[in-house]
Amino acid sequence: MKTTYQWLKDFVEIKIPPEELADKLTMAGLEVVFLEKKGDDFVFEIEITSNRPDWLSVSGIAREVAAITGGKLKNAPVFSAPRKIPGRKIAGLSIEVGIEDKKDCPIYLARILRNVKVGPSPEWIKKRLELVGCRSINNVVDITNYVLFESGEPLHAFDLDKLASGKITVRRAKDKEKLLTIDGAENSLLPENLVIADSNRAVAVAGVMGGKESEVDFGTKHILLEAALFNPVIIRRSRQLLGKTTEASYRFERGVDPEAPERASRRAAQLLKDLCGAEDAGMAARGSAGRKTVTVDLDTGYLSRILGVCLGCAQAKKILLGLGFKVKLKAKNVLRVEVPSFRQDVKQPVDLIEEIARIYGYEKIPNSLPLITPDPDTGSRREIISEIKNLLVGLGLSEAITYSLVDRKGLKDAGLESETAPLSVMNPLSREQEVLRPGLALGLGRAVSFNLKQKQEYVPLFEIANVFKSGKEPEEKLALGIALSGTKSFFSGEGRVHDPASFLHLKGILEAVFSKLKLTGYEFVNLPAGRVEIFLHKNKIGSMLELGRQALDALEIKNHKVFICELFLEKVFSCALPDKKFISLPKYPGITRDISFVLKEEVSVESVIASIKENGGSLLREVKVADYYRGKQIPAGFRGLTLSCFYASAERTLTEKEIQPSHDLACEFLSRRFEVKLR
Amino acid sequence: MDIDSLQAQVKNDLEKVSSPEALEEVRVKYLGRKGVVAELTGSIPGIPVQERGEFGRKVNAFKSGLHELFAKKEESLKDGEALRGENIIDIGMPGIAQQVGTLHPLTRITDEICSVFSRMGFSVAEGPEVETEYNNFTGLNIPLEHPSREAFDTFYLKDYDKKLLRSHTSPAQVRIMQEKKPPLAVVVPGRVYRPDAVDASHSFMFHQIEGLMVGEGIKFSDLKGVLETFAKAIFGEGIKMRFRPHFFPFTEPSAEVDISCIICGGKGCSVCGRKGWLEILGSGMVHPNVFKHVAIDADKYSGFAFGMGVERIAMLKYGINDIRLFFENDLRFLRQF
Repeated sequence: MKTTYQWLKDFVEIKIPPEELADKLTMAGLEVVFLEKKGDDFVFEIEITSNRPDWLSVSGIAREVAAITGGKLKNAPVFSAPRKIPGRKIAGLSIEVGIEDKKDCPIYLARILRNVKVGPSPEWIKKRLELVGCRSINNVVDITNYVLFESGEPLHAFDLDKLASGKITVRRAKDKEKLLTIDGAENSLLPENLVIADSNRAVAVAGVMGGKESEVDFGTKHILLEAALFNPVIIRRSRQLLGKTTEASYRFERGVDPEAPERASRRAAQLLKDLCGAEDAGMAARGSAGRKTVTVDLDTGYLSRILGVCLGCAQAKKILLGLGFKVKLKAKNVLRVEVPSFRQDVKQPVDLIEEIARIYGYEKIPNSLPLITPDPDTGSRREIISEIKNLLVGLGLSEAITYSLVDRKGLKDAGLESETAPLSVMNPLSREQEVLRPGLALGLGRAVSFNLKQKQEYVPLFEIANVFKSGKEPEEKLALGIALSGTKSFFSGEGRVHDPASFLHLKGILEAVFSKLKLTGYEFVNLPAGRVEIFLHKNKIGSMLELGRQALDALEIKNHKVFICELFLEKVFSCALPDKKFISLPKYPGITRDISFVLKEEVSVESVIASIKENGGSLLREVKVADYYRGKQIPAGFRGLTLSCFYASAERTLTEKEIQPSHDLACEFLSRRFEVKLR
Repeated sequence: MDIDSLQAQVKNDLEKVSSPEALEEVRVKYLGRKGVVAELTGSIPGIPVQERGEFGRKVNAFKSGLHELFAKKEESLKDGEALRGENIIDIGMPGIAQQVGTLHPLTRITDEICSVFSRMGFSVAEGPEVETEYNNFTGLNIPLEHPSREAFDTFYLKDYDKKLLRSHTSPAQVRIMQEKKPPLAVVVPGRVYRPDAVDASHSFMFHQIEGLMVGEGIKFSDLKGVLETFAKAIFGEGIKMRFRPHFFPFTEPSAEVDISCIICGGKGCSVCGRKGWLEILGSGMVHPNVFKHVAIDADKYSGFAFGMGVERIAMLKYGINDIRLFFENDLRFLRQF
């Protein structure tokens, strides 16, 4: 909403410069976002919150200025009570008003003005309209706009001779009813649109825009001046359907003062008489302001309790009176407040408390600190997430945040679609926001691709975020995604080491996470087609995969392997950080013996270790991979492996001699069962 | 020459020594058969009898001092040799460690903010991103057919009745108050969604942190005190704050909160639009209608709520000028935090 310094001065005495006024308005809730000197005037651009339609007018802002600055209101008629609206038909008037449903339109006033001289507007009107961003059309249209800005009541002038004589009706549009509006658009209306119709057809979309065919032009002689009140919800729906927001619809959907139509109609008629030589031929009307007076009782004790500052009845009363409320003392410390018609936002005591606090000044309310009762039983989940994140960062991964909304095509092209249909969005702005992602792989894959294109040699990323699934109800689950690509290089004592990303790197990272969370009972299971599934206590909790050709092509990744894992965290949370009991340290040292051998590639190490453990006797406590290698000395299809076996006893220090039989047994079993060559 | 000046001369000579060979030369000069000490000793018979004893003691002390000095020098030469040998350290070489990763700047800011509130006694909770229309709007006193909805353009889900992607973190207020009874003090960080076209300052996905405190006797001045504590912790002790009246359907009275511009300090610059102030959050006293929806007795309890955009605060704090950088995941960007 724009207004000007001089225009405000028509209605209120202002003794402070524009800059200071702008600051005061801002601090009272009318945020001045822009103040500009234009000629001898200043334009204020004010952001009006949707609860205050009364501020969508110069007079309404003037009332606020008076309350804040203590300046006197001027030009009383604009603020005066409306006159009684005359009956529905006036003798000698050629028009009658009909309202199909009072709920759609509580008031409709049709004033007839004859012998209007249509021409350009006087300079002062042109200038003010221009300053608030409204183009001058002709004196009649300009006067309706001028009064709209002044009073907040949208008016419309029809060329009376272009209306079919007899009756103006406010009704719902017929299905597909056609109307050419003044913006030149041919509209096909729906019954959700409210229209103004003459006896033949719709002539305006009520509260939104007039029709082209009944528009006032330089040939117009007689006019019908509309001042009405329309249902905010219907106007909102109507303009949404038409895709047109106008100064009129903007005000009607926020709620116009029910007393405004009569005043505005009278004010416009006066201007039309003064500036266009029009004769006021009387007004046909339907409906009435018909509004029950709203009163709210305000306990000043409650006021002080809510604000944290002590304000008495006198102070509260003074502020409310300044804002146009009527106030009586109802009981000790209780004010009975009568809400004026232009303040339909005020319904209960807190609404008055805000008014009082606003004018009193938020800055004058002191700062205090409340006593807080801490809640001990929240946050464990967040702490685990934080532990995981910090560990991953320590392991060299950087945290990514990728979009939860993705394009269906992206998922399809990369072959990353879920088995069930993804959750889709009804009203995406673009294809990139079509569906909620079923997994983290696409987003991470894209981030990897982006970074490889920036010539990063190694891309280690992770994300912890929700993924989504359709079901009876939409499901969202927290997941950890990790993506590795490229070759990590770092210094060792021997110089630079190059270490290309692989499945085992992903596995190692996950093992570190599990170990940090003291998780046990997890398993990695090989599946065909470059996929590994991860189980926790026999429940599948995630998978690891190497992106295939299709995905790499879709992501435009060339000459790089990409490894991604996804892990659902709910199950992890429920098993993480169990209460631990200390296990006493071994009293007697154990003995480690290594076995080196060559093993066929297709035999899994896990099965070898499990077998040795089973057959190594009671002293064998642990079997671990000590080293592995492939190379010149090892025949193709085989790999060299060193396992280290740890023998210990809880009762005594073992001797080499004692474990030899067990160890021999293990070795012998190994060569028999897996046909390995011991080295 | 007297013995004191000889002392000084020895030190001077030794300082110039950088090899065992040179040290030997100096040693011979002083302790050799025809060296200085021998010369001094040889001069004793020519000294008057009454001074002879004193002079002899001085020569002896000088001599043993020399032995000590030479031994020390020899040690230090050996140390130096070790350094020049195979154990030499060039500390200018890169340290041996693997690269450490980084937390996303939005995570860092979120954690920082949540921990400020934690220290004040707030707990941290979370809520779902797929929400009901009720929790996102109606329960928060936002009527469905009202212009106040305009500020909350929302993604709705297909195939589900009245399910949407939350357009703010405020629905968490409704959930928390349905589940728990006062006293409550909670902050809720999370992702939110609005159908906005993406540009340098808009994103269809972003992050907010919601705060809610409900109890007996909670007042507007408490809101001011808590938020001031927060702002000073995040932006520094010197920050100024102002509370401007505003409208939010779920709070009454409502306030928008500005801090003095952290770029220009309040003088006015391009970041603050020459106003000297930066809007950082919305807040207010919980509306009685919201309490009514969750069956909390508004006569007994009162509360405040606030909400802030994490991207906005991160952009201000780190001087980031394009919101898209947060979601591009460029390692060159991520590794700066």
